[in-house]
Amino acid sequence: MTDRSRADRVWGAITAHADKLGVPISLRVLCETAAARLPVTGVAVVVPGGFVASEPICLTGPLSRRLEELQLTIGEGPTLEVLAGAGAILVEDLDALVYQVRWPLFAPQAVRIGARAMFVLPLRIGAVRGGVLVLCADCPGRLSAEDLAEAWVFAELTLELLFDEQDGIGLQDGRPVTSGYFETRPEVHQATGMVSVQLGISVGEAFARLRARAFAENRPLSELATDVVARRIRFAHEDTG
Amino acid sequence: MDDERLAQTFVELADTLVDEFDLVEFLDMLVDRCVELLDVSAVGLMLVDFRGRLQVMASSSENIRLLELFQLQNDDGPCLDCYRTGQPVNHPDLASADDRWPRFAPAATEAGFRTVHALPMRLRAEILGAFNLFHTESHQLDSSVTRIGQAMADVATIGLIQERSLRHHETLTDQLQIALNSRIIVEQAKGILAERRGIHPSEAFTLLRDYARNHRQRLTELAAAVVDGTTTATELLSTTRT
Repeated sequence: MTDRSRADRVWGAITAHADKLGVPISLRVLCETAAARLPVTGVAVVVPGGFVASEPICLTGPLSRRLEELQLTIGEGPTLEVLAGAGAILVEDLDALVYQVRWPLFAPQAVRIGARAMFVLPLRIGAVRGGVLVLCADCPGRLSAEDLAEAWVFAELTLELLFDEQDGIGLQDGRPVTSGYFETRPEVHQATGMVSVQLGISVGEAFARLRARAFAENRPLSELATDVVARRIRFAHEDTG
Repeated sequence: MDDERLAQTFVELADTLVDEFDLVEFLDMLVDRCVELLDVSAVGLMLVDFRGRLQVMASSSENIRLLELFQLQNDDGPCLDCYRTGQPVNHPDLASADDRWPRFAPAATEAGFRTVHALPMRLRAEILGAFNLFHTESHQLDSSVTRIGQAMADVATIGLIQERSLRHHETLTDQLQIALNSRIIVEQAKGILAERRGIHPSEAFTLLRDYARNHRQRLTELAAAVVDGTTTATELLSTTRT
């Protein structure tokens, strides 16, 4: 299927970029690849901050940096809205009236520093929120359907790398260890809910515990999840590490 | 076929479409109505996601969802053929379909199904997914049933586009992304309820759905409230184990 190869094409481009630089695959390599492949000026990965609303953990290009700083200072903008739970926000022209009205402080200043389009995609697995992927451009315009589909593939890979980096898990065979959250069986998500009750923690933390255990036991996440759902495995406070 | 019921269903679907609605719930309702109207045993609906992978978006029962997932995991089955060719696929007797679908046919037969019909969901030249009808008896669907089945598949497609325009989203990709994520939230909520009440996730789903219906709440909003722990639905979350 041509569709299947979209993800492979993107991954191939990321791998090639890493090889060219002679570095391992990382969020930085991913962002740089996205900036090169998509018609955008800058790419940023932003996560919810501990003490502030947003914290960019990876940025390419000065425009991305300034846009994130601006939103954080002013307290409004698409990055913050998507971080707070909104769906994807695709702004084809920040200078358009609709956006100038929506973000009366942010939009005019964003245009002043040279930004015209912003595409903000949530990095989410159900209620588990990892952050957002922000693409920005210095000229107005929409992303084509193909570019947008590719942007979503980048978002999915970003989330996988982000989780693996948070968990301290490296790549295995050149792919993120826990790759394929979105194609996993529903048991993974059911088990996430079950473990969150077993340990009295959020679904985000429960998902991290599941991934860490699957990694430690060297077995697929879906297999561990199936055991949890079948109640063959129970997470208890003492054995969660 | 019951004409009165058919008319009523299309009125209901149209009513849903003109208002703001929840795509996940809409598709669930659609597959349930199809079982009833088309007199089939089970219905499943798959849509293609942004990576080009088919995803099970709605199913009239748990076992049909598993069978749909089975097709995806094994890359074998009528729904995939239908999606790839854009043409309807019919097989009136799965017991003799091992040559065609070496993995799917035995699994479907074991699950108790004898007949399968897969109808494409299309938007102009684009194939968005497939709509699958299953029957427990060997059964040739007559053409009027197939036509109505195709009309239902088309209504589902319209639902997808409709929700997008209501929310001013730009692409179907984005829309499917939201629906897929809603599905995952429902799975997470099922896990939470299952654990709290000591029941199976499929029972938890029934509880969630019934509660949402009885309280005129959207399923996905209720599921999100369960996951966030913000729901006031104490009877739903009651920790008494049965």
